[in-house]
Amino acid sequence: MAFLELRSLVKNFDGLRATDNFTLDIAEGSLNALVGPNGCGKSTLFNLITGVLTPDSGEIRFKGQNITRWPPHKIARLGIGRKFQVPAIFEELTVRENLIVAAKNKSQQEIIAEILAQINLTKDPDMLAGELAHGQKQWLEIGMLLAQAPSLILLDEPTAGMTGAETRATADLITRINRERGMTVLVIEHDMGFIEHLACPLHVMSKGQILKSGNFTEIRNDDEVKALYFGQTEAMANA
Amino acid sequence: MRNNLVALLIFAALAASPLVIGSYWTGQLTAYLVYGLLAISLSLVWGYGGILCFGQAMFFGIGGYIMAVLTKGMILPDLTSSYIGLLAAMAGAALFALALGYFLFAGRGISGAYLAIITLAITLVLERLMNNWYALGGYNGLLNVPPIKLTFFGASFELWDRLPTFYAVLGVVTVVYFGTSLLLKSAYGLKLTASRTHPDRLSSLGYSVLSIRLSVFALSAAIAGLAGAIFVTLDGFASPTLIGFTLSTEVLIWVAIGGKEMLLAAFLGAILTRTAESWLSEIFGNYWILILGLTFMVSVVLLPKGLLATPLEWLTKGKGKRSG
Repeated sequence: MAFLELRSLVKNFDGLRATDNFTLDIAEGSLNALVGPNGCGKSTLFNLITGVLTPDSGEIRFKGQNITRWPPHKIARLGIGRKFQVPAIFEELTVRENLIVAAKNKSQQEIIAEILAQINLTKDPDMLAGELAHGQKQWLEIGMLLAQAPSLILLDEPTAGMTGAETRATADLITRINRERGMTVLVIEHDMGFIEHLACPLHVMSKGQILKSGNFTEIRNDDEVKALYFGQTEAMANA
Repeated sequence: MRNNLVALLIFAALAASPLVIGSYWTGQLTAYLVYGLLAISLSLVWGYGGILCFGQAMFFGIGGYIMAVLTKGMILPDLTSSYIGLLAAMAGAALFALALGYFLFAGRGISGAYLAIITLAITLVLERLMNNWYALGGYNGLLNVPPIKLTFFGASFELWDRLPTFYAVLGVVTVVYFGTSLLLKSAYGLKLTASRTHPDRLSSLGYSVLSIRLSVFALSAAIAGLAGAIFVTLDGFASPTLIGFTLSTEVLIWVAIGGKEMLLAAFLGAILTRTAESWLSEIFGNYWILILGLTFMVSVVLLPKGLLATPLEWLTKGKGKRSG
């Protein structure tokens, strides 16, 4: 039994099939990346897993439980955390308050101090989150996930809008979260340099399905992937 | 800390005001304090909870009618305790809000203009209902609602005179104001702000946004119900206008002019607007409504945080922090 089991997921939007019999198993403690061109169904998949959307058919099992039509807050309580594509933070709260809300009922003082250090926001934790730079907002959202301490983390383009140095630091942080905290991580990303830095199994998605799975080199050298995906992505070609 | 200091100074000034304003205005100010309580309830649900309730008077009216019916002995002739009346008024308004809130917020939920329109429609329905509910006095309402009777260790005291009534009402308003402020500074207040600004994020952290919205809707209704219950004892009269469209609109204007995201500003907005209404209507007659309308427009366009919230925030706010 896999940690997260996605079975034959189908989701249609007004005749457009966003996920088409999508099937994937994620093992506990693993770090996986999901790539694919825009509109291939990656974010829809995250919305299905987290209960924001319900599938038209198929099944989602997490830790052995069928969570297919659970509401988002119940899924989160079972241990699935999510980072949204656009930084989703509480802009009217301070950095510290964002982490307090995320940490819920846990003993907060130590956890928050540790997380602030990890996301490099120790300088002004009482600053309003809305006043942070874009990259810092991305980091704060990752920090909120650490405070939430889920067993599975879904990261939707965690480095969008970041500088090269921030991107590398984010890749290191995600790898550390996976290795040191034992959190299972599934990440969606377009930046192939970042994906290569993660050095993890890679799944290529196309038209709502998994096209290929493998490590970075295998995927990069796969002719089918090159034809269907890499040819369209300059970044991948240069990677 | 500075928030509380400014609020304390304002409440102290209110407490001292009967020395200056005389008996008539003390009576008027007592009623304005009750309106201020209603404004606090709307600020809580709208400014902090992000729920634009266009029918806040329905909870005010429900509380008023429950108080009137109970203390007049219309349910049980022996059960006319003011304390029970006040508690029942709060509980009745809160339960009605819970039932209505579940209908409004469950599932995908209704928000924004749709929520405002639905709550406005419900207010109109309730006002029409009360106009035609003859057992509750119909259009004429319920007369001879007894004043609040305070009982301490066997001794009892009825709030007939203006001065004791003023201080009793000010006491209730002070407790509700500081109690609500304290709540908003707690973890609950953070969750409330979070549910207003990014409900999807809050939900993905494991919080039930429905529970948070229901709780603030019910709490706000309980405060409005308490205000309504006190109000009917001031004039001894409960009428359908308490539950209706006019008061619902007025309280929105008071809160918007004062500042919906600051309890103190909303509270003062109600008091100052009502005071201005009394003065200006004497000078300009019905044209004072135009002045109110202009003030409202200036507030919305130039100072969207509120005419009073802006200077109050300057007085109370530290850099980059939200004030309560």
